Amino acid sequence: MAFVSLEGVGKTYRGRTGAWEAVRDFSLDLAEGEFFCLLGTSGCGKTTVLNMVAGFEQPTAGRILLDGRPVDRPGADRGVVFQGHDSLYDWLTALDNIGFGLRLRGLGRSERRAKAEHYLTMVGLTGQGAKHPTELSGGMKQRIQIARALANDPRMLLMDEPFGALDAMTRAVLQGELSRIWAETRKTVLFITHDIEEAVALATRVGVMKRGPGGTLKAVIPVDLPFPRERTSDAFMAVFREVHALIHDEIHGAH
Amino acid sequence: MRTDGLATAGGYVAGFALLFLVWHLAATVLVSSVLFPPPLPVLERAVVLIEDNILQEQIVASMRRILQGFLIGSAIGIPIGLAIGSFKLIRWLLEPWTEFFRFIPAVAMITVAVIWFGIGEESKIFLIAYTTVFVVVISTAAGVGAVGRDKIRAAQCLGASRLQVFALVALPATVPYILTGMRLAMSNAFVTIVAAELIASNDGLGKLLWDARLFMQVEDIFVALLALGLLGFATDRIFRFLIRAFAGRFNATV
Repeated sequence: MAFVSLEGVGKTYRGRTGAWEAVRDFSLDLAEGEFFCLLGTSGCGKTTVLNMVAGFEQPTAGRILLDGRPVDRPGADRGVVFQGHDSLYDWLTALDNIGFGLRLRGLGRSERRAKAEHYLTMVGLTGQGAKHPTELSGGMKQRIQIARALANDPRMLLMDEPFGALDAMTRAVLQGELSRIWAETRKTVLFITHDIEEAVALATRVGVMKRGPGGTLKAVIPVDLPFPRERTSDAFMAVFREVHALIHDEIHGAH
Repeated sequence: MRTDGLATAGGYVAGFALLFLVWHLAATVLVSSVLFPPPLPVLERAVVLIEDNILQEQIVASMRRILQGFLIGSAIGIPIGLAIGSFKLIRWLLEPWTEFFRFIPAVAMITVAVIWFGIGEESKIFLIAYTTVFVVVISTAAGVGAVGRDKIRAAQCLGASRLQVFALVALPATVPYILTGMRLAMSNAFVTIVAAELIASNDGLGKLLWDARLFMQVEDIFVALLALGLLGFATDRIFRFLIRAFAGRFNATV
């Protein structure tokens, strides 16, 4: 049995201007420990898929199972890293942000601090724990978000274009760090992106979505390349071209 | 941070010096009338009133009323604002109240307050609480509504219960809004206390103003105005400091 199963999942929003089908008949199985990148153009419904797995939104068709149990609400077993950094708590220090989930579970102050320090170090921010989010750069904030999600020891990580708002250099550095962290923790990851290179650099499998409305999974490409990945290698470029061809059709309208 | 603070303080001193200079020039060159005294005789009068312990008594009387009414009004307004911001049903029920009463200024309620509570402390405290409550309710409710969706979602997927989301996310995120509402309410309270004391009171800065008018002690009028301005300025600084501290831009550990 798959760790996470999306079975014919659909999502239709109904509003004053009529119905909008964001996702149609989306089926996917995720194995425990894999790094799955969901790749698609903007408006294809990829974030909606993540929001449904997170339990923020409910499918209007099909179902989502985690370890065989239906997902119907957000839970501590699925840590989420959001695209923007508005999810951090400005009134808490970086360390207290990381330890927030542990505080919810009633862990003592010293135990919380020790764990938070561990994850602060893991994301490369040793010594920055006393700062508040407003004093940190965009890249640092995303590191704090990742540390906050990991400190809670979830069974899987859901990442919604976490590096989308960063400059290219910072993005590349954080991609490398995320690969290393994933290798250390072996968490199952569902990673949303519209950046082909990012997907091929990080994923064990890349899922390409058809463009919206009614976005659905078009193809799944396994990426059997060793880590750390050499982005200029022929093998990398071959996968890149394969994925690029699939996405290219979506951008230019051939269905 | 430290040089910033010094620069700000220096700016304030220079700003007040300029204010007194303009006042002095206006009262000596421009108008030159006994009805508009320059700063120096006013300050001399203030020293006399302070030495006689009169000014302090009026300030204490007014500030005590403001503080009591303000605290009562905030204590009522904050929970109501939180409830309105958190629950649709309560919003539907109470929004007409806040939208109705907020257009009836406290000054218009002075008559009612005097009829109900007499001219003693109760009527002033009632008026200050009245003027405080609606401003605080509205900004608190707005603050709850403005808590970022991702902040709440992040807490939910870290395992927060509804109560934890409220206490650990919505409430602290709303504090700057609450303080902003209290800050606005405080300036309303100054308006209200003077009006109330002008009409019905045995002491306070409004009474000082009224008596000075009766006996044509122009300097006393200006002493009272100066005291109001400075007190208002000081309380507003305190609120600005608190808002900055809670908004997270201020880091206590540095």
